Amino acid sequence: MSNKLSNSVPTDREVVLGILNNSEDALNRLYVGYFPMVLQFILNNNGDEDDAKDVYQEAIIVLYNKIKGGDFELSSKLKTYIYSVCRRIWLKKLSQQSKKTNNLSDFEDVVAVEVDFEQHEEKEIQFEKMGSALVNLGEPCKTIIEDFYIHNLSMQDICEKFGYTNTDNVKTQKYKCLQRLKKLFFQS
Amino acid sequence: MKDIELDAIIEDYLQGKLTAAEASAFEELRVNDPSIDQKVLTHKVFLESLKEYGRVLSLKEQMDRAHSQLDVAALSQKLGPHPSVIVNMWRKNRSAVAVAASFLLLTIFSIYSIQHNTKQNGTYEVMRREITNIKNNQNKLVRTLNSTPRTIKGPVGAAKFGGTGFALTANGYLCTNFHVVRDADSVYVQNNKAESFKAKVVYRDQQYDIAILKIIDNSFVPLSNLPYKLKKNNIGMGENVYTLGYPKDDAVLGEGYISSKTGHGGDTTQYQVSIPINPGNSGGPLLDNYGNIIGVITAKENQVEGATFAIKSKYILEALNAIPQDSLGKKPAFAKKNPLQGLNRTKQIDKIENYVYMIKVYN
Repeated sequence: MSNKLSNSVPTDREVVLGILNNSEDALNRLYVGYFPMVLQFILNNNGDEDDAKDVYQEAIIVLYNKIKGGDFELSSKLKTYIYSVCRRIWLKKLSQQSKKTNNLSDFEDVVAVEVDFEQHEEKEIQFEKMGSALVNLGEPCKTIIEDFYIHNLSMQDICEKFGYTNTDNVKTQKYKCLQRLKKLFFQS
Repeated sequence: MKDIELDAIIEDYLQGKLTAAEASAFEELRVNDPSIDQKVLTHKVFLESLKEYGRVLSLKEQMDRAHSQLDVAALSQKLGPHPSVIVNMWRKNRSAVAVAASFLLLTIFSIYSIQHNTKQNGTYEVMRREITNIKNNQNKLVRTLNSTPRTIKGPVGAAKFGGTGFALTANGYLCTNFHVVRDADSVYVQNNKAESFKAKVVYRDQQYDIAILKIIDNSFVPLSNLPYKLKKNNIGMGENVYTLGYPKDDAVLGEGYISSKTGHGGDTTQYQVSIPINPGNSGGPLLDNYGNIIGVITAKENQVEGATFAIKSKYILEALNAIPQDSLGKKPAFAKKNPLQGLNRTKQIDKIENYVYMIKVYN
């Protein structure tokens, strides 16, 4: 029943090393390699392609955080781990949509991922909070903050990009934006 | 210090951009002013969240790029649920179908086996004993050693078959199964004192599987009055019963209860008795607690545990009635009042034992 994955699937070791080295190629191959497995699972359990994409990406983030967290021990095959995380996430989504969650059709073995899943849920909440805080912040603040903190642009770059006369103005602007964002983030 | 400068310093401090001297000065400030310390911690948490947000965002972008390489539509075509409803139902409910199927199978089997049981297809196994030469040789040895003054009568050769019989009259009429003496050339009976007497078959009833023998040996001394009587009425289910028989060369007691009012395949001339019996028990008397003879052990079902069959006593009486009265001598003298009534089992057996014989058949 379960279709054979293509040969391009990287070994578990390659994936772990690749993620630790921020290799985009490793992530790509990992992503392409195991997506069909998850797609099959979701499609056969009342989901569509978009559900599969969301669930799969969440699972990759869980794996990514786990590897980056440093305490990563490969107690099962990566494939099994990803499948188990996806399964757990999809179960949650199904129950949120109040669909029946028993009688899932399974295609792979399952390992216990409850601890990782709970950690992920907390992070997911933080992520949502930050996302909505940034949206509420509005432009140009959002872009300034993102450029400075996420894309690591220098004050000089931002100054030029937004056409400020000098970096002090940018600093003041950034300070005001940051204060507002903090307020939004901690209030929500 | 203005907030904006403090913020810048905090940020630089958290990112490790301060010089060592500046950092230690700032740490001192932190220790002295809890409000600054609070600000540092808050900012730290906030910055981490922001960094995390950024990391996840860029990861998602990377994954989206990877995702765009995939031909999702083709994959879904291949991996998605089968368009046919039946195939889907099969895939989803495979386990349920399996359970249902095994339940169905089980039901069919159990119904079948119940029917099987009601038919009592198990073969009907008559309980006469084929005596092997080895056993007989042993017997002879024992008897020689005993060297009783009584001369052992009867043929020296090996008996072919053995069964059990019991006295119907004091003058030597015995009842046994027809199948015990079926192909008999000569019949000898042996009592519990190991005395053998020649007997002949005077009545055969194949239908009810009853035979009546008469001891024709000169050395036979008529018995005293029979201790038991034949019960004419049927007996109820659950009644405790016992039998004496010769599955070996000494009498053996078997105990049980009436388990059905009909015998093999619903045969109304028999009882079904739950009692352990063995080859050689055939023809033995079946007695109730009061010492009434209620039947004759004939057979057991070999595929069912504890299903023994006994001919009802009524048919013994019918057989007796078929024999001319004058040849029976005295009318079969069954006691009017049962002398065994009230005695305990051991005493009853003590008395009955003398009236139960081993039937030895030669051919």
